[in-house]
Amino acid sequence: MLTRKERERYDRQILISEIGLAGQKKLKKSRVVIAGAGGLGSPIAIYLTAAGIGTIRVIDHDQVELSNLNRQILHGEKDIGKNKSDSAKRKLRTLNSTVEIEALTETITANNVSRLVDGCDIIVDAMDNLPTRYILNRCAIEKNIPFIHGAVSGFEGRVTTIIPGETACLKCIYRGTTAKKKVPVIGVTPAVIGSVQATEAIKCLTGIGALLTNRLLIYDGLKGTFLQLTVHKNPQCDHCGSQ
Amino acid sequence: MSATLHVHTTHLQFTNGLEVVAVEGNTVGECLNHLIRQFPQMEKALFAKKDKLLNTIEIYVNSASAYPNELGKSIRDGDTIHLLVALAGG
Repeated sequence: MLTRKERERYDRQILISEIGLAGQKKLKKSRVVIAGAGGLGSPIAIYLTAAGIGTIRVIDHDQVELSNLNRQILHGEKDIGKNKSDSAKRKLRTLNSTVEIEALTETITANNVSRLVDGCDIIVDAMDNLPTRYILNRCAIEKNIPFIHGAVSGFEGRVTTIIPGETACLKCIYRGTTAKKKVPVIGVTPAVIGSVQATEAIKCLTGIGALLTNRLLIYDGLKGTFLQLTVHKNPQCDHCGSQ
Repeated sequence: MSATLHVHTTHLQFTNGLEVVAVEGNTVGECLNHLIRQFPQMEKALFAKKDKLLNTIEIYVNSASAYPNELGKSIRDGDTIHLLVALAGG
């Protein structure tokens, strides 16, 4: 059930015929894991909190640094040195006190990932490295949880949505890992990509629209273009090949 | 066969800033060899060793993934090839 205040709060999105009251109730019942509270995690968390997701679990092991602030808009100067997940929780609670925010300051590993994402309906990828993304991808497949991948570099960003057992997974698209180094990025790029990921999460949770499945959406901010590439489920994939 | 090859942003430093390069060949592998003849630095940017792409390179032909056996994939006149590099930032 939605309260009178919630109906008022979400009035503009309830007016969207594809969402309606039924969709809003689904959002309220939903539990979303956002893996990372940085550049991508910021817009994802802000828009999903504003949209009225029931419970959002934010996982990040890092503390806020000055060099984060050009893009990680969940955090401000006063948060420098504090845990990102705690900082995120404070901001998100200010934005929407009706959403349950769970803040976890943990490093995602192959050993703890199952526990960290337990009970969630969707995992949204806001990580800053491919190895952890692969850990999340494998876990999402094993636990049959939709996984919304996003990544950025410079003015470029990419998004794809993975439905376990049905679509290409992250390991069907990429196989290697990039060298660990500082990634150049301007805040508007994760703003665009994180917003697309949040849109995918809302669509997936409410069962509306066409998800970015078997498609890799590539945004080029410098050219002002969106390119859509087709990806295929790989029967030999070491993550999803047996499914 | 003639194809249009789109260079990834990170490789523009090796193609004199050219984002689109005309290449020729009957397969993706032959087209990449033609690219490398024009821009020799692209070899190290694409290949781990002879006939073995770096595992961070993904190839799309006519907007569809060419994986697996990318290098042997046939090319027809007018085809479009996109070279992608894995992104990790968040």
